[in-house]
Amino acid sequence: MTGFILRRLLLLPFVALGVSVLIFSLLQFLTPAMRASLYIHDPKQLNALPDIIRKYHLDQPAYVQYWDWLTQVAHGDLGWSETAREPVADAIRGYFPATLELGVYSFACILALGIWLGTQSAVHKDRLLDHLSRFTSISGASLPTFVWGLLLLMVFYGHFGWFPPDRLSLAAGLFVRAPGFHPYTGLITIDALLNGQWWIFWDALRHLVLPVATLTYFLTAVLVRITRSSMLETLRTDYVRTARAKGLAQRTVVDKHARRNALIPVITLAGLLFVGLLSGVVITETVFNYPGIGRWGVNASQQLDIPAVTGFALIFSGLLVLGNLCADVLYALVDPRIRLQ
Amino acid sequence: MTAVRSSTPAISLSRTPSPGRTVETGWHRTLRRFRRNPLSVLGALIVAFFVVVALLAPFLAHPTERNPFMIPHSGYASDPHPPGPGHPFGTTEEQFDLYYGVIWGTRTAFVVALSVVATAVAIALVLGSVSGYYGGPLDELVMRVTDIFLAFPGLILAVVIVAVLGQSVRNAVIAIAVVEWPTYTRLLRGEFLRVRDMEYVQAARALGSGDLHIIARHVIPNTIYPMLILASLNMGGIVITFAALSFLGLGAPIGYAGWGQLISLSHNWIVGTAGDPFTFWYTLIVPGTAIFLFVLGWNLLGDAFRDVFDPRLQGSR
Amino acid sequence: MAAWFLVGVLLVLTSGAGTRATGQSVKNPDTFVTLRYGDPESLDPAYQYDTASYEVVYPNVYETLIGYNGSVLSTYVPRLATEVPSLANGLISKDGLTYTFPIRPGVKFHDGTTMTPEDVRYSTLRFMLQDRDGGPSWLLLSPLVGKESTRDGDKIVVTYAEAAKTVTVQGNNVVFHLAHPYGAFLSIVAAWSFVMPKAWAAAHGDWDGSAGTWQKFNNPKLQDRYAFDHMNGTGPFKLVSWDRQAKEVDLARHDAYWRAPARLSRVVIRDVAEFTNRRLQLQQGDADLIEVDRSDQSKVMGMTDVTIRDDLPRLLIQVLHFNFKIDPTANPDIGSGKLDGSGIPPDFFSDVHVRKAFAYAFDYGTFIRDAYRGKAIQPSGPIIQGLLGYDPSLPKYTFDKNKAAAEFKEAWGGRVWSTGFKFTLTFNTGNTARQIGAQVIKDAVESLNPKFKVDIRNLQWSSFLQLTNAHKGTLYALGWAVDYPDPDDFAQPFLSSKGDYPQRNSYNNPEADRLIKEAAVSSDPAKRKQLYKELTQIAYNDVPSIWAAQPTAFKVMRSWVRGWYWNTVYGGEDYYPLAKQ
Repeated sequence: MTGFILRRLLLLPFVALGVSVLIFSLLQFLTPAMRASLYIHDPKQLNALPDIIRKYHLDQPAYVQYWDWLTQVAHGDLGWSETAREPVADAIRGYFPATLELGVYSFACILALGIWLGTQSAVHKDRLLDHLSRFTSISGASLPTFVWGLLLLMVFYGHFGWFPPDRLSLAAGLFVRAPGFHPYTGLITIDALLNGQWWIFWDALRHLVLPVATLTYFLTAVLVRITRSSMLETLRTDYVRTARAKGLAQRTVVDKHARRNALIPVITLAGLLFVGLLSGVVITETVFNYPGIGRWGVNASQQLDIPAVTGFALIFSGLLVLGNLCADVLYALVDPRIRLQ
Repeated sequence: MTAVRSSTPAISLSRTPSPGRTVETGWHRTLRRFRRNPLSVLGALIVAFFVVVALLAPFLAHPTERNPFMIPHSGYASDPHPPGPGHPFGTTEEQFDLYYGVIWGTRTAFVVALSVVATAVAIALVLGSVSGYYGGPLDELVMRVTDIFLAFPGLILAVVIVAVLGQSVRNAVIAIAVVEWPTYTRLLRGEFLRVRDMEYVQAARALGSGDLHIIARHVIPNTIYPMLILASLNMGGIVITFAALSFLGLGAPIGYAGWGQLISLSHNWIVGTAGDPFTFWYTLIVPGTAIFLFVLGWNLLGDAFRDVFDPRLQGSR
Repeated sequence: MAAWFLVGVLLVLTSGAGTRATGQSVKNPDTFVTLRYGDPESLDPAYQYDTASYEVVYPNVYETLIGYNGSVLSTYVPRLATEVPSLANGLISKDGLTYTFPIRPGVKFHDGTTMTPEDVRYSTLRFMLQDRDGGPSWLLLSPLVGKESTRDGDKIVVTYAEAAKTVTVQGNNVVFHLAHPYGAFLSIVAAWSFVMPKAWAAAHGDWDGSAGTWQKFNNPKLQDRYAFDHMNGTGPFKLVSWDRQAKEVDLARHDAYWRAPARLSRVVIRDVAEFTNRRLQLQQGDADLIEVDRSDQSKVMGMTDVTIRDDLPRLLIQVLHFNFKIDPTANPDIGSGKLDGSGIPPDFFSDVHVRKAFAYAFDYGTFIRDAYRGKAIQPSGPIIQGLLGYDPSLPKYTFDKNKAAAEFKEAWGGRVWSTGFKFTLTFNTGNTARQIGAQVIKDAVESLNPKFKVDIRNLQWSSFLQLTNAHKGTLYALGWAVDYPDPDDFAQPFLSSKGDYPQRNSYNNPEADRLIKEAAVSSDPAKRKQLYKELTQIAYNDVPSIWAAQPTAFKVMRSWVRGWYWNTVYGGEDYYPLAKQ
């Protein structure tokens, strides 16, 4: 097992290198003037274009720029992000916890809802509940996130005033940024509890409801589908048939025998789902003005902030490799039939 | 030459009929299974509807601009207008006709989705077959490259590519294809691996058939079904990604007939006016419904294909 | 079971929420919240050159020697100086080369230290000598030192002595010695002469003001200076924090302000990119003032307890530029590159008849009505309303299809009309007004002759920059906003052969150059008025650009906001007089 894990961890630097090469190779398509658009925002600054190009070495070939970046990273410096107006490492450190918080809550909801719906769907296959749940989950995957998110915002914030956008209300935000508040984890709901500030906990939770609802609806479909088909497969296996033949109640069959085995592929998928969630938050964060890594990644990409995009991609690819690894390890732990080669 | 029994347990298309029963070819069984599920039928109907709309677009909505994909506009005023004479679905911001946009947007959706799928499949056929069939270091290399592409968050990669290449439909297609090709390649490679060691392939090799011939005649046809499932499930996702790109200002140009474009034109108006949040409901609901139904149809269809063609569920019904 | 738990949680969550009641009482009466789109680039007054940064810097955190009294732009009031220099009080020398500012004593910086004339001198020199690429330093460099930049390429071409001699301390006065007379100098001082403490800057790694070291601090990158995200000025508010992730600037009242302290105790300026969010937060009372585009105006009309101030005059002009010499290499926008009906030759727009034809073909009325909801006026040239020398009676082009056709028939010896042309017009994404302008001209021109084909293409900013820099643009839309409210700030970039746009578009007129120079050095308002009128006439005759619109602004705020006033020079609001009740 350890050998397997170590081998997979070796993949990390390789993937990181590959991702960075991919991004810098895209630079070939950019002229120095296009890259200078990161620094020039107004027609008044157009005259400074050649100077900007020279100042930031934008006219050097892509491989030279890549080598410069690589040596910089080797010294532990991920570079400066013009769009975030702070070092890339700081931006990631700052934005990531917000996305993580959103991701964790969404993940919990997706798991709960997805597994429950998928199981019920499989058990009551081809009946009304099955069709309804399949239709609901599929329709969730059919509507673009931003449309759904805006609708939710309009109804639940605009009309009812219950769940606002952003991450915190004004007063809570000021309190959290003041020196008296200790950011232990970066996840405001947890930090608020650790700091003993219940009102901030509720405030943060209120702001999470709509983004989580948006993400959950969208991604539950996948989980329902997998759970359902996996459950179906398990319910047909010999040992389940035997259990039924023995006269065990449906409930026992499902809960004790079928579900555990059906969950095996679900666990694998859940790992991937989590990482998929992290990348899927991009649009959601934009719609709700949620200060997470997705929103920053898109802004950086739109404005061609190369160090930011590369830093962002590195973190992400690292997460994905780790996520896959965790899923595989979990899979092996849960299913004794798997022997990791 | 005795017929080599097609030993693909997956799709028994040509099963010899058991004596005493009426001859029921594989296709009939597939179709019957398909028809039994109302959701599958619904999906097929929806997709068929959109195909018809896309084909008949020039008749349903007469083009007036040089480029028929550019939506005609009557005037330039900012505020959208509700459905009325001349504009059956209303107009968007700056008076683009929603009806025209939705009709020709169907064509755009198909063009974009099919282009992406075609490109991804083309790449997958080359890389996946080579990788799966020959194996070894070549396989390793291709797999590592797909690893790298898959490690990249999809939307961000698409955004970066369009930001670099410039905003246009063509570049959006390229960007989405770059995001999608690894999945197709991996799938095809997996299928190739599975099929490569089958008896009939080994037999063909033993008979001296060339590699390319084997790939083309034996391997590829049997890997079509998983690809079909993937592609049909992917069609909706591609259109949503394209809409997301348009929403971020990186998809089709302004005034182009695309559902995502129409929705991005609507996103400032969904809060309505001060008194009534639903004043401009049509700007969102009309293109939103189109995109929803399109993706829904393909999702249902893809789901149905999976149920019907999925090897693991064969024989256990 | 789980379901009940969920219901319980939801009940708790919604119970604490604010209900949307009419006649809402003031939320957070001491704190003012403004929502904009676009966040500051830098809070360093010598580095910043965008409106979001400018709002924070001036006049809220940093102050200048003289300022504006409310909305009036033509006269000044003393701020950090105790008197406004003029010829009458002798503080402007007769030759117009020396300006003396008596400095106000007892003014406290945010860190508690007292402002001295040396701080003023230091701040001015720092502003000029930092001179980052694409920055505002030229605004003081140009009139004081007589150069547009401290560098030529990589070489530094200004000596410390050259710069230092332009700003001297004499007792309690700071004296500016101009390189040449410049009538607009006071308006530049009013908008750009920010003062920060020398000791604080030096203590935090910035230039210490000495002659030998200034070159090391020249042309910094964004993050190089402490002043990038730390502020220490004399203004009524001080910086509490700039959270670049929350995209929020927090300001707090400076209690030791040299005038009476501000009424608000906190100001929060936040960047919210989505209009829907901004509007919803205004509706809920969580925001007090939000930025709204003209095209979104219908969605804020009639909101309860919301005040809209409209028809606010702006010194801003939207223009369509003709490129006289288009670069034909790999240029998809000029088609065949020849006057054969499927393209245009690179010098297509160098014929004045072509330009006049387009100017007559532009439907100004419809453009203003639809792009700006009628809230704009049509300029005659770059000297727009609000500037000295503006004259609405001067000729301007009207939308006249017959005249347009007539001009087209004369263009290029009549060939344009017979062969036709095809080209692509470009504008950058995200600006609805420019998009409408492009459509307007396309529709009108194409309706004159079936052989005329105009396509429009929207580009993202990076591509657009690439295009204009390489002189590949054909007819493109860009505007100009005020740096300082003097006609010279507008005449130069559009009509001077060394100006931003003429250089890009290969336009020049020596007569215009002469008039601009003469008007710049003169300090006689009547004479300058006449000269600028003549320049407007040249703008009309030469028509190097289509002068499309001068839009007005409007502001959307809660009705409980008191003390608000408009000034077109500010990047945002002056929070000093504001209160909520």
